Amino acid sequence: MTENTTFSTSGADAISRTIDVQPEITVTSASELDDFYEIERTIAEILAGDYKRVALQFPDELLHDSVPIYRRLKAGIGLGRELYVLADTSYGSCCVDEVAAQHVDADAMVHYGHACMSQTSRLPVIYVFGKKPIDVDDCAERLAEVFKGSSALLRYDVAYAHQAESIASALRRTLDIPIITPQIHLLSRPSQTPPAADPEPDSSSIIYIGPESLALTNLLLTHSMSSVYSYDPLIKLARLESARTNRLLMRRYATVQKARDADVFGILVGTLGVSSYLPLIKHLRAILSRAQKKSYTVSVGKLNPSKLANFMEIECFVLVACPENSVVEARDFLRPIITPYELEVALQAEQSWTGRYVLDFERLLAESGAAADAPNSASGENREGEKAEDEGEGEDDLDQPVFSLITGKYRHAKRFGAPTPTLTGKGKEPEASSDMILRNQDTALALADNAAAQFFQGRTFRGLEARVGEDAPSVLEQGRSGIARGYADDHPGTTL
Amino acid sequence: MRCPPVLRTAARFTDQIRGLMDRPTNIRNMSVIAHVDHGKSTLTDSLVSKAGIIASAKAGDMRFTDTRDDEKERGITIKSTAISMYFEVDKEDIPSIKQKTEGAEFLINLIDCCPGHVDFSSEVTAALRVTDGALVVVDCVEGVCVQTETVLRQALGERIKPVIIINKVDRALLELQVSKEDLYQSFSRTIESVNVIVSTYHDDALGDVQVYPEKGTVAFGSGLHGWGFTLLQFAARYAKKFGVDKEKMMAKLWGDNFFNPATRKWSTKPTDADGKPLERAFNSFVLDPIFKIFDAVMNFKKDAIAPMLEKLEVKLAPDERDLEGKALLKVIMRKFLPAGDALLSMIVIHLPSPATAQRYRVETLYEGPMDDESAIAIRDCDPKGPLVLYISKMVPTSDKGRFYAFGRVFAGTVRSGPKIRIQGPNYIPGKKEDLFIKSIQRTVLMMGRYIEPLEDCPAGNIVGLVGIDQFLLKSGTLTTSETAHNMKVMRFSVSPVVQIAVEVKNAADLPKLVEGLKRLSKSDPCVQTWINDNGEHIVAGAGELHLEICLKDLEEDHAGVPLKKSEPVVPYRETVKAESSIVALSKSQNKHNRLYVKALPLGEELTKAIEDGKVSSRDDFKARARVLADDFGWDVTDARKIWAFGPDTTGPNLMVDVTKGVQYLNEIKDSCIAALQWATKEGVCAEENMRGVRFNLLDVTLHTDAIHRGGGQIIPTCRRACYAACLLAQPTLQEPIYLVEIQCPENAIGGIYSSLNIRRGQVFSEEQRPGTPMFTIKAYLPVNESFGFNGALRQATSGQAFPQLVFDHWEVMPGSPLDKGSKLEELVTKMRIRKGLKPEIPSLDTYYDKL
Repeated sequence: MTENTTFSTSGADAISRTIDVQPEITVTSASELDDFYEIERTIAEILAGDYKRVALQFPDELLHDSVPIYRRLKAGIGLGRELYVLADTSYGSCCVDEVAAQHVDADAMVHYGHACMSQTSRLPVIYVFGKKPIDVDDCAERLAEVFKGSSALLRYDVAYAHQAESIASALRRTLDIPIITPQIHLLSRPSQTPPAADPEPDSSSIIYIGPESLALTNLLLTHSMSSVYSYDPLIKLARLESARTNRLLMRRYATVQKARDADVFGILVGTLGVSSYLPLIKHLRAILSRAQKKSYTVSVGKLNPSKLANFMEIECFVLVACPENSVVEARDFLRPIITPYELEVALQAEQSWTGRYVLDFERLLAESGAAADAPNSASGENREGEKAEDEGEGEDDLDQPVFSLITGKYRHAKRFGAPTPTLTGKGKEPEASSDMILRNQDTALALADNAAAQFFQGRTFRGLEARVGEDAPSVLEQGRSGIARGYADDHPGTTL
Repeated sequence: MRCPPVLRTAARFTDQIRGLMDRPTNIRNMSVIAHVDHGKSTLTDSLVSKAGIIASAKAGDMRFTDTRDDEKERGITIKSTAISMYFEVDKEDIPSIKQKTEGAEFLINLIDCCPGHVDFSSEVTAALRVTDGALVVVDCVEGVCVQTETVLRQALGERIKPVIIINKVDRALLELQVSKEDLYQSFSRTIESVNVIVSTYHDDALGDVQVYPEKGTVAFGSGLHGWGFTLLQFAARYAKKFGVDKEKMMAKLWGDNFFNPATRKWSTKPTDADGKPLERAFNSFVLDPIFKIFDAVMNFKKDAIAPMLEKLEVKLAPDERDLEGKALLKVIMRKFLPAGDALLSMIVIHLPSPATAQRYRVETLYEGPMDDESAIAIRDCDPKGPLVLYISKMVPTSDKGRFYAFGRVFAGTVRSGPKIRIQGPNYIPGKKEDLFIKSIQRTVLMMGRYIEPLEDCPAGNIVGLVGIDQFLLKSGTLTTSETAHNMKVMRFSVSPVVQIAVEVKNAADLPKLVEGLKRLSKSDPCVQTWINDNGEHIVAGAGELHLEICLKDLEEDHAGVPLKKSEPVVPYRETVKAESSIVALSKSQNKHNRLYVKALPLGEELTKAIEDGKVSSRDDFKARARVLADDFGWDVTDARKIWAFGPDTTGPNLMVDVTKGVQYLNEIKDSCIAALQWATKEGVCAEENMRGVRFNLLDVTLHTDAIHRGGGQIIPTCRRACYAACLLAQPTLQEPIYLVEIQCPENAIGGIYSSLNIRRGQVFSEEQRPGTPMFTIKAYLPVNESFGFNGALRQATSGQAFPQLVFDHWEVMPGSPLDKGSKLEELVTKMRIRKGLKPEIPSLDTYYDKL
C-alpha cells in the first residue's frame, strides 16, 4: 500500500485482474478442435458470403481457444480477408455484440458458444455453438420414464443442436408420440424476416434438453400452461420442471406490484444486438409518458447493484435485453428490475395476471400495437359517454390515491408530464423547459413536474451549505493523507 | 319529561338532535366498553330503548347494535356502531352536574364500542378516539377481566373518563343466592380492582377519575332485565324521607355506614352500643327492597307483592299483573329501577362534555403546537374556528365498495360543499404529500343501521361523511387551516401477528381479490393486507377469530370470489442479543470507501416506546434527544445524531452516527438511510423485519472524489456492514407471544395446564376470584402454538374454559440460528426455503471485508 500514485489508479489492475472462469471444455488435439468449433463450416460460410472482415466473438469461458481457432480459420480463408477476436462484451455473451464488431468495421461475425438466438439488426452472424456430447439413448430412456403426454415439442440448449434430430427420432421411437423440433438457423442475416417465429405449436408438453439455465427458466415462464420436462445431459437426469413454474411466476407478479408503486422509471439498455430494441425502447417511453410516469433511459452495460444504486431517484428499472437475460432476480438490487412485458402489465389500470408471459420483443410490440388500436377504435364511440361519467365522479379523479399492495396502504402517485399545459406538442419531453429554474422563498427548487428536483428536495444533503456562524471554530488538526484505497496512516490490523 | 317508548318519527328526532348539536356543553360522547360477554350490547339496548329508538319491551331480547348476521349468530359484537340519543335530565339532578350546562336537554352520542372480544379491540381504539367518556361494564360474577383492563388502560391513555356499571346483578341474586353482605363485599372488591387500574394509569390532567358509588359514578344493574340504579336514585328517595341533603344521603349509603333503626342514629361501627350487630346502610336501604322483591316474586308470595309495589310506587298495567316468575320480576324491576334513566343520568352528570373534555384532551390529540389556531379551536371546542375533524374509521355503506368516513368534529363546523384539506397519516405540514383538497358530498348522522342526512355538524359531535372515503385508507384528519397539523395517529393495543396467504381459485378473479383486499383493509382498523416477495397475498390480523371473520368478509363480501387459504403463519422479528464482538467493516465495490458499524440491542423499553409512538421519527430531534437522555439513559450527543428509524422510516431500529470528524459524512447520510431501511426490512437471518437493533456508525473513510462515494457505492456497502454487524452481535429471532386469560371452575384447571404445557405455554398467575368458585389463570403462549388452542382447551376441559388471547410482547427465542442443528436454525432454514432463499444464513465473510 505504498504506491500512492495519483487520485486514480493506473489501470494496471484491470489488466492483471484474474477472472473466475472455469474453462468449460478443453479441446486437446487439432482435429477435435476442428470438429468442436466447426472450422470447416465456418470457413465455407465466410467464403460463400465473401466477407472481408470478420469478427470472432468468444464468451469468457471459450476465450482460451481463440488463438488456435483464429489460426485455423486464417489458414482456411486465405489472404485478403481479416479476422478479429472480440473480447469482453458489454452485455450478456449470449448476445451478438454488433457494436463491438462495428469498431473494426466488420461485415460479418462468428459467434461462439451459447447463444440466445435473438434476431440481430445489423450484421450477418455465423453461429458456432460448440458440439457438446450427449448420450442420445440414455436421454430418450430417462425421459420416457417421467414423460406423460400425447405429443411434445422438443427444445434444447444450442450446444446440443447437432444431435437434435437424432434425439427427436430416438424419442419418437421410445415414446411413440409425435415430436416437433423447431429448426435453429446457424446463419442469421439481419435482412431476414424473423424465422416466422416458429408458430409455437400448441403442444401441451415440452421437452428441454440441456442443463439448468436461464433458458430453461424462461421457457418455464413463457409456457406456464404446458408441462415442461428437462433432461440434463451432464448429470443424466430427467424430471418434470413445471412444479416451479407457478412459484416463478408469482415472484414476478410480486415484482410487477412493486412496479405499480413506482412513478419514476429507468429504461435500462441491456442489449445493442437484438433487432427491435430501438423501437421497443421508443414504445416503452411512449407508454410511460402516456401513464404520466417519468422515464430515464440508462445504459450501464452489465448490471450490478452498485451501478444501479447510483440512480436513487429511479424507483423501478425496465430492462430491455435479450430474452435470456431479461428476467433478473433483483434481490441484491435496491430497486426492482422488470421486463418490458411486465411494465405493460403494471401500467394497466386493472390488475391482471393470467399466467401469460411474453419475453419476445417482436411479439410484445405487435401485441401492444394491436391492443392500442383496439381500444382506440372502441373508445372513439364511447368517449363522450365516458367523459360525462368521469365528470360525474369528480373532476380530478386522477388525484385519487391508489391502494398499494406492497405496503397495504394508500399511495399518492406523482404524475409527470401532466397534459395541462398544452403549449407545445404533447410528444415533447417535459424537461424541455429547463432553461430557467424557479426558486421559491426557501430557495428550494420549485419545479413540481421534475422528478429530479423533487428527489433533490427530499434529500438531507443538498450540496454546499453556508453555515455561517453556526459552527464554532475548532483547533486545526492534522488530517489524513493519501487516497481512500490506502491512506498513509492506515495500519492493517488495527480497526479503530 | 319521560319519552314514551315508541318509535319516533325520524325527521322530528333528527331535528331535535341537530338542535342540541349546537350546544357542546350538553353533549356527551361516550362509549360502552367491557370484556367479552359482560353484556355491553344488551345494556346498550336498554339505553337505546330509553331514548326511544326501539320499543322497551324488546330491550334485552333484541340487540340494536348488532347489525351483522354473524354477530347475531355468535352472540358477540364485531363492529362498533354509533347511536345518538336525546335525553332530558330530571330538573332536580341539574345541580349535581359539576360542569357548565344549559338547560336540561342532552344529546348523548353512544358508541357501543366495542366488541369485547380482544381480537377486535382495534375497534375499541377507534371508538375511544371520538368519545370523552366511557361506561365500563363489569360482570358482577366474573369481575375485572383482561379485556376490561386493556380497554380501561387505553381509555385512560386517551384521557377518557370512566364510569362503571356492575352488570348481571340478577345472576348473583338468582343463581348464586348470595347474602346481602356478600354481595356488598363483592361489589366493593370489583370497584376496588377497577380503581387499582385507574390509579396505575393516573394522569394529572385528567384528575382523579377513580369511581365511587357514593359519588354516583358506579351503577348496579341487569342489562338483560332492563333495570339498574346508582345510589343517586335511592338517595333521592330517602333524602325526602329523612329530610337530609341528597348528596349527604348518598355518602351514607356506601361504605362503613350503619343505621340503627332503634335510635335512628348513624354510626360507622357495625355494632350498636349494646354490641348488637347493625345492618350496613347499603344493605338495608338499597339491597333490602331488591332482595324482598326477588324473594316475593320468585317464591310466588303473591300477597306480599301488592303492598310492596304500592310502597315503591310501582304501578303495573292490567295485563302485567297476570305475569309470574321471571317475567313478572322483570316488569317490576324495570318499573322500579329503570336502567335507562339511571345510566343516562349517570352519564350526563359525571361524564364530561366535549367543551370540558377537549380542554384537557387537546395536548394528547393534536400533533402541532398548542398555540396555533387549530389547537386553540380544539381546546375551546369552537364551532366557528377552523375545522379539525378526525376520521377514526371507515364504515361500509350499502353501496358496495364505498364507505362512510366516521369521525368526530373537534373544532369548526363541517358541511358539504366547501373544499377541505384531507390529511393522511403521512402528511407533514407545508408538504403536499398525503394531502388532498376536496369537498364533502354529504354529512350524515349515523344511527346504528340507519343514517339520517344532516345539513352540517358543529364541533363536539360525531358524524359520518360521504364522498371522501377514496382519499383515506383507515383514518385521517380533515382541516381547513393551512397550518393545521395532523391529529395523533391511534395506536392499537393489538398487532396483526397472524398471517394467512390467500389465493384466487381462478386467475381471472385476481382483480376482484385485489379490490377486496383494499376494501377489507379499509373496513377494519387493525387488519393489514399486502403482497410478499413470493407473490402471495397476505392478510394479517390479531388472532384466529379475527382472521376468520376477515376472510369470511373478504370471500363473501369485499371480493366475492372463491378463495384458497393457506395455513396461518406467524411473523418473526430479527434482533441481536449483544454488541457486535468486533467492529464490522465493509468496503464499497470500488474499494475506496469503508464503513465501520457495530450493532447492539436497543433495549426492550425503548423499542416499545418507538412502537407505541412515544418516541418517533416525527419528533423534533432536540426534544427527542432530551427524552432519550432522561428516560432511556442515552448520551445526549448520540441521541441528537440519530440518522434514521427503520424499516419504513418509523420502525424500532436506529442508525446513530457516532463518528468523529469525518469529512463528507453528510453526503452519504441519504445513502445510509436508504440502506438502513433496506437492511431492517429484510434481516440477515431470514429476511424478516428487524426489531430493537441500534446500528452505530463508528467510522467512515470516503473517497475524496464525490463520484466515487455516490449512492451506488455506499448503499450496498452500508447494507452489508449492517448485516455483518448483526452476524457479529449474536443474532436471534423474536416470536410474538399471547397473553392468555382463562376463567374456569377449579376442576378444569388440570385440563388447562396440560393443554398449555404441550404448546410451550407458561402459566404465571392462578387466582381464585374471591367469593366465587371461579379461577382466573393467566399464561403466556407463543402465537405460533395458539392455532386450534380454543378447540383443544374446550376438549380438555369439557367446554368449561374459554380463553382470551391478546398479543402481549415479542420474546427472544432461545438458542442461536447460527448453531448448526439447533431448533432455531431449523426454523430459520424453513423460513428461508419458504421465501426461496438459499437455505443457509450467509456466512460472515459475505458481508465482512478484511482491511
